[in-house]
Amino acid sequence: MGTEANIRLSGAALGYSNRKGQVLILENLNLEFFAGEFIAVVGLNGTGKSTLLKSMCGLLPLLEGDVFLDGQNLKSLELNQVASKIAVVLTEKIGGFNLNAFDAVAAGQMPYTNAFHQLKENHLKIINTAIETVGLKKHVHKPIQELSDGLFQKTMIAKALAQQTPTILLDEPSAFLDYASKHELFILLKNLALNENKCILVSSHDLDLVVKYCSKVMVVADKGAAMINASEALKNEAFQKIAGGFI
Amino acid sequence: MQNKQGIKFLALGILLVVSFFMSLLFGGSEKINWEAINHNDFIFWEIRFPKTITALVAGATLSLAGLVLQIIFRNPLAGPYVLGISSGASLMVAFSILAGSAFQSMAPVFHGKSFIVMSAIAGSFLVTLLILVVSKRVNSNVVLLLIGLMFSQICGAIQTALEYFADPTSLKSFVVWGMGSLSNTTNADLTGYVPISVLAILALFLFVKPLNALLLGQNYSQNSGINFGKNRFWLILISSVLTGITTAFCGPVAFVGIAVPILSRMLFDTSRQQVHLFSCVLIGGSLLLLADALCHSLISNVALPINMLTTFIGAPLVIYLMFKNKHW
Repeated sequence: MGTEANIRLSGAALGYSNRKGQVLILENLNLEFFAGEFIAVVGLNGTGKSTLLKSMCGLLPLLEGDVFLDGQNLKSLELNQVASKIAVVLTEKIGGFNLNAFDAVAAGQMPYTNAFHQLKENHLKIINTAIETVGLKKHVHKPIQELSDGLFQKTMIAKALAQQTPTILLDEPSAFLDYASKHELFILLKNLALNENKCILVSSHDLDLVVKYCSKVMVVADKGAAMINASEALKNEAFQKIAGGFI
Repeated sequence: MQNKQGIKFLALGILLVVSFFMSLLFGGSEKINWEAINHNDFIFWEIRFPKTITALVAGATLSLAGLVLQIIFRNPLAGPYVLGISSGASLMVAFSILAGSAFQSMAPVFHGKSFIVMSAIAGSFLVTLLILVVSKRVNSNVVLLLIGLMFSQICGAIQTALEYFADPTSLKSFVVWGMGSLSNTTNADLTGYVPISVLAILALFLFVKPLNALLLGQNYSQNSGINFGKNRFWLILISSVLTGITTAFCGPVAFVGIAVPILSRMLFDTSRQQVHLFSCVLIGGSLLLLADALCHSLISNVALPINMLTTFIGAPLVIYLMFKNKHW
């Protein structure tokens, strides 16, 4: 079905619950994200980009409304089912405990392996393809904490690819990368959306790259989010406000 | 790679067998000859044998408890001590030993072995449950570790107060227990100690995949289809049984729980936790068996407290490893 959205938010309100009550961060969200789209989530610090990404993959419960993955309500899905529909790359670091780049990528296959996370030939094939797609082959045996920021991001993207999901969410993957690596990363993600028909959502502060490579831009501001085409972003008032007039 | 692992495991297996017999043969004031074993020798079957089995089981349980806690808290320096689980067990044992001296008529009950065993398990459970309640409100592992540390401080303070008011006999028996000893376990005790420990160890093998996932932290575990909270609950429960039962029979044995998983990760450069589950049993068992043999043979006719030895081996090891390896 070409018309079913990979992710659909319906009347969603997002935020956190603590003992004093609820902290509302975003409300009244009605959004759709489709296969083949490369969408940037932009917004000032603290406006709720991470909250949005975490809510869409079930890491943060919604305050109100629903999220549908491939037409199925997130609330009715098992963890394992969610893991096979949506992969997420977060800002947090992992490493230590003898974890190397290969192990991290192999973790992407976890929803599909047996109780001992035993990697059989079919699993290894997928893992190695993911490693080759991001160009990580030379570095697979390096401990994760010894990877450069660029290679670490590539590792985590390969992990998301190995998870074989139609949708990948990435939270500020370009944050600590050098100039060339930022461009490489965005080109890689764009190609994944185009060639593998994946739906890719990436939050970023690199607005020039967003305009250059993404197909759509979601502007997050004032507890709401609006989706525009990337080609119109420069003319958009909210986008310009985030750019502070510097773009 | 696979071959290398096989050779290492073979070596560890041989080490365990050798340590087992060293503990049996040298773990006492006099050397045992084979004839004595054949002739139902009392010292061999009622003293040496249970002590050797206890060393093996204690080494394995404490090492695995340490391994699990280090993974749960993603901190290579976590262990039953850091979380206050051992202190909880110690406090409850102090309560029962010292309550016996306060209520003389009840002394046989309070000083009975099964009561002390249950107190220690209850103590480690209690602290573990407290940590579980706190962990629902605290997301940061560092904060959780600090809270564990505070728990052990509080337990220690109450214990000091109890010791202050204790009579000399009870005080001595508790202080001796606190040094850790492998020789208080009788063959009758083993019928409880061994099966419970083996069951808890086997239960851990049901959690191989969650253990591997937990290495990646809460969010990545969830996104890999592993329920973080549920698995963490069961793993903490199992590790508290492992810690509680061994602390009950042997007292708080120091440094095994923290040092053995680190050694295992140095020996086997893999993040696959099934490998470390096996190797922690082998390394931990061997370490305590050897420590037992050394305790009795370093100074003739003197049995040194096991904790003294494990600390002398374990503490410098941990410091050395911290300097040598910045990651493990």
